[in-house]
Amino acid sequence: MKTKILALAAGLMAATALASVPAQADVKIGLLGGVSGPIAAMAPAMVDAAQLAVQQVNEQGGIGDGEKLVGVLGDSACNPQNGTDAATKAVNIEGVSGIVGPHCSGAVLAAAGSVTIPAGIVMITPSGTSPEITGLDDNGTVFRTVPSDDYQGRALARTLKEQGYGKVAVAYLNNDYGTGLANAFKAEYADALGGEITQFAAHEEGKASYRSNLAELAKGGADTLVIFDYGDGTGLTILRQALENGFFEKFVGGDGMKSDAVINELGAENLASFVASSPVGEKSESLDMFNEAFKGVGGDPDAIFATTSYDAAFLMALALEKAGGKKEGVAAAMLEVSNGTGEAIRPGEWKKAKELIAAGTAIDYKGAAGDHNFDANGDVPGTYALWEVGSDGYEVIMEMK
Amino acid sequence: MEFLGLVNYALFTAIFIAIYALLALGLNIQWGFAGLFNAGIAGFFAVGAYTSAVLSTPADDGRLGGFDLHFVFGWIGAMLAAALVAWPIGKICLRFRSDYLAIASIGVAEIIRLVIKSEEVLTNGARGINGIPRPAGDIGYTESQIAYLVIVLAVLIVAYVLVERQFNAPWGRMMRAIRDNEDAAKAMGKDVEFRRLEAFIFGAALMGLGGALFAHFNRSITPEAIDPMVATFLVWIMLILGGSGNNRGAILGAAVVWIIWSVSEIATDRLPHEYAIQAKYIRLFLIGLMLQLVLRFRPEGLLPEPLRGDLRGSRRTPKSGADHS
Repeated sequence: MKTKILALAAGLMAATALASVPAQADVKIGLLGGVSGPIAAMAPAMVDAAQLAVQQVNEQGGIGDGEKLVGVLGDSACNPQNGTDAATKAVNIEGVSGIVGPHCSGAVLAAAGSVTIPAGIVMITPSGTSPEITGLDDNGTVFRTVPSDDYQGRALARTLKEQGYGKVAVAYLNNDYGTGLANAFKAEYADALGGEITQFAAHEEGKASYRSNLAELAKGGADTLVIFDYGDGTGLTILRQALENGFFEKFVGGDGMKSDAVINELGAENLASFVASSPVGEKSESLDMFNEAFKGVGGDPDAIFATTSYDAAFLMALALEKAGGKKEGVAAAMLEVSNGTGEAIRPGEWKKAKELIAAGTAIDYKGAAGDHNFDANGDVPGTYALWEVGSDGYEVIMEMK
Repeated sequence: MEFLGLVNYALFTAIFIAIYALLALGLNIQWGFAGLFNAGIAGFFAVGAYTSAVLSTPADDGRLGGFDLHFVFGWIGAMLAAALVAWPIGKICLRFRSDYLAIASIGVAEIIRLVIKSEEVLTNGARGINGIPRPAGDIGYTESQIAYLVIVLAVLIVAYVLVERQFNAPWGRMMRAIRDNEDAAKAMGKDVEFRRLEAFIFGAALMGLGGALFAHFNRSITPEAIDPMVATFLVWIMLILGGSGNNRGAILGAAVVWIIWSVSEIATDRLPHEYAIQAKYIRLFLIGLMLQLVLRFRPEGLLPEPLRGDLRGSRRTPKSGADHS
């Protein structure tokens, strides 16, 4: 029996060893995503958006002298164990020149710490929002196309203060997204601006009732509830139960709360006192170009993080082109292709970008999710707006500074 | 695929196998020696990882510590903390038998995960702890992986030798006696409650050490790492496949399962592009299939528990005494 098992194992390993035949002419980038695991529902659209960028690059001339760009998918499963494993395989077995992903902050931190920073490979994450990523000692190799939760939380705090909100209570989902936003909000609203936060409480997701949490939050006399959660999940339950029981008068949400599910479930007439912040860019020309292209390949442009995933992959391709297809210069090139100066390049305009790079002209990528002008930490400042519920969906009240 | 790339990947895989082997050894003390069905490995793994992270990182205002100690103190602290946490848990939960203990220990691991995720003053909450020093981490990529592998292997060998010694010592025979027939052991005057607690604590300490090695390797630890799939059930599969009750089996199981888990992704990547996403689930299927095959055809694992005395050599002819479940 032992021999059977060993034969099976040996067969598997032999198959894997034989199966990997590299094609040297291709330029590979790793697309690491949480394909299995907790964000399995979100990951396919993000991967498809990144693959769209790869496809466009190849249709319009490829990298360098027509070398094909290949996106190698790896499963980071939203945890550090699989994240580092997938990154190691991408860097060493596939020999990628850069990595787009991973999707979850914990996997980003671990894969950066143990693989890409030591190996000197550039990583650009489309959805790792943890403020911890900002402070990574990364020699300038870790980027992201999604703003740190820090930006949004602080901008929202300033805007609320400006709008004359008084005492607020804060309820946040207990994960890196909710905690990051809530802490940044608190730091700005209470500590920097002198506003009053009466209650500040985390909640776990997936419970049927949050009435006891809400009753606790309502103590202290705040008339506004700030919710950092997802509008198609727990956040919806909290908002509904707060409205039903009249715990608060006004409601504020982060970008996760700006979901159509909220309007569909609760009705626009009940949401007169609800506002939410969300990245602007919703109306930009770049976004229209991306939406059209993504619909063309059967994707849903409204899928969460689809725009940032596309931008991350396209930026990686631009940086590779600029660096001549070599992984060594990608980090420096990344800063050059999107720093606010130069000829504007929009999603899908690979041919134009290629010609400009060949001519030595400076280019500036204006992405579907924003302009992406990287700062020294590889972060992008978010441009956010405050939204209210109007007769047909969300409408912008003001831009947040 | 360059040669150096293969070397780097092999080094990485070896480090992961060694870390998982420590977890499997810890579980072997609990399940293989003492018959304790601990399904809360992730909890002790996390306690160890976070303790070492807090002890060895520079001071940070947002959370407990850090104390900026040498990593060796971090690792010793990790073992002590995991053992300390295991003590009250064992005191309460070890009164349960088999399945009930499994349920209780899953619950305990979940409590530990939620505490770590929620108590920001202690662990920096959901953001996790970053910037954990890796021993010999400042040298080049390949060199630092080699250095870390040497350290991890040294730790694993020491742990293996110590556990193997205990297994062959009177203590090990006593533990197996308690496992196989508790009443008889009690009648012989053994303090069953205390011995079971002992095994539980020793096992937990090794798991804590595994967690610490993992955190230092990645230079960061986040609550996402305390995932029951990769930190509890994968370890169980390793031990069952390798052979519970056999320390070499635990290490072999860790190697076989992790290699299948990791290498199968390289194979599935060769499938056509449109199946790329679906193909990622094949490895979950493969691990399940492997477990089924082993349980069906070789329930005692690849390397079965070594038998002694009258039972030696009687493996092929099962008789009543050989059935130790």
